[in-house]
Amino acid sequence: MKYLSGWILLWLALPVQAALEYDLQAEQVARNTWFVEGKTEDFSQENGGNIVNTAFIVTAEGVIVLDTGVSKRYGEALRQLIESTTDQPMRLIINTHQHPDHFLGNQAFADVPIAALEQTREQIRRNGDAFAENMYRLVGDWMRGTDVVVPSQTLTPGIIDIGGHRLEWLALSGHSGADLVLFDHTTGVLFPFDMVFYQRALTTPHTPGLMQWHQELEQLRAIPFTLMLPGHGPRVEDGRALDQMQAYLEWLDRVLTDAAEQGLSMTETMALPIPATFDSIALRRAEFERTVFHLYPDYEQAVFEP
Amino acid sequence: MNQQRWRLCASLCGAGLLALLIFPKAQAAQPPDPLNSVMWDYTRNIFIGDADYRFSQAIKVDVPAFAEDPTQVPITIDARAFQGRIQRMVVWADLNPIQHIFNYYPSAGASPKVSLRIKVQQSTAVRAAVLTHAGEWHVGYANLDAAGGGCTTPSMGNADPYWQSHLGEVKARRFATDTGEGARYKFRVIHPMDTGLVDAIPEFYLQQVHLKSPEGETVVRMELSPPVAENPVITFDLTDDRKGYSLWLRDNGGNEFEQAL
Repeated sequence: MKYLSGWILLWLALPVQAALEYDLQAEQVARNTWFVEGKTEDFSQENGGNIVNTAFIVTAEGVIVLDTGVSKRYGEALRQLIESTTDQPMRLIINTHQHPDHFLGNQAFADVPIAALEQTREQIRRNGDAFAENMYRLVGDWMRGTDVVVPSQTLTPGIIDIGGHRLEWLALSGHSGADLVLFDHTTGVLFPFDMVFYQRALTTPHTPGLMQWHQELEQLRAIPFTLMLPGHGPRVEDGRALDQMQAYLEWLDRVLTDAAEQGLSMTETMALPIPATFDSIALRRAEFERTVFHLYPDYEQAVFEP
Repeated sequence: MNQQRWRLCASLCGAGLLALLIFPKAQAAQPPDPLNSVMWDYTRNIFIGDADYRFSQAIKVDVPAFAEDPTQVPITIDARAFQGRIQRMVVWADLNPIQHIFNYYPSAGASPKVSLRIKVQQSTAVRAAVLTHAGEWHVGYANLDAAGGGCTTPSMGNADPYWQSHLGEVKARRFATDTGEGARYKFRVIHPMDTGLVDAIPEFYLQQVHLKSPEGETVVRMELSPPVAENPVITFDLTDDRKGYSLWLRDNGGNEFEQAL
């Protein structure tokens, strides 16, 4: 009987434990460059928040890790994955912007310098705990033991050479107020991070403005990349992701402007149709509703002014 | 004697229980809550008492799929199916610490559709109960999913003294309605709408809103409670398309504000 109940307990416990493995895969997408692609879903108890793309570059002077994921558990899985891919030591960890799915894995890399833009460090210091709390609510036990680790270093935009890679860091702001973009001149890979969402609707909680974001994407068009790894969604070798981003941003700006001009309420605006052109974009309805929450009050305010 | 009384009591209770089991259908005018909210009987009793009521999908309660910002959750109540028959509409959220949101009294010339933003403390049922002139209650409803905290978060205004010098400032505009008939008015007023549930900040909120015709008659009257979001933005529809309307507001501090629309 004792054994039987033991087996039952074990059997009950197994599926739960199995479900809390991130099962990250690294795909080599260019020389020394590895892409860890997340799902184009919303945060859930099922996916554990693995909805973000991370990446790493194995240079001759050590590994550069680009974002650490959503939880301590994700960070640990990512570190294991990197260590099973290369013998190079960790050189530098980057947090590309303030959103929780990009820095809450920092604990797994606490022994390595972690760098971010000055404003991003400030934002993580200020909002990090609230973000982490929200993630616990959204994905539950996957977050166990996760604490905020504020990036220890400030990253200055510009070009640096590390271990045979010429890396150019750009500071933009369209997505979250301080958004890092990386262009690796050596491999031709452009890492726009969350400045570009592809086939997954963009998020707007901290955007300084849709058209500002749109304009900054023009700067990315000028970069002679051969491969782009978006912050969310699949990799792409041409300007398609930029086309989709700009078309969607333009539509958002226009639909919110028109709705405000017509005097629509927020709930009426949320129910407006989304053009079929955007049918391939995951989560478009849910993210459109969120965007109305974030931005419509300002559009409404603008039409009150005489 | 005592035993007899006990028996009498027991049989009466038994009969009562039996009646409850056998005659639930006799209570058809008090149907069970389609949203299964634990607070339904309690809040219903507060706002409509023991009166008979029916649930009605004809009263549309539009809420977002999720309350992204629990301090500014948009809702639209569309009771145009009851146009001209409404004595009063009461709107509340079952699981808010302050359940009542607003009362709405339309008179001839009003089109009973109203939009505003509210605070929610957690996921909750939102109700819009319409009392007709014939004395019937019709209850519209929707479930609102939220993470919460909207009622116990300090108003943004408390971190920024802007409201103190702009209190009651109204910005408004007249629009065409979605049906092309009548007129729509949307206005925003600067007010902290403090709930009194935040440390050492007493409740301070707009209580009365009157939309007045060019003749000075009140066409729509609303009574607000603190769960109406800070710096309220309210949209009214009228069947009357004349110009010359005005807005009159009063808060619980006795401040009155008036603005031509």
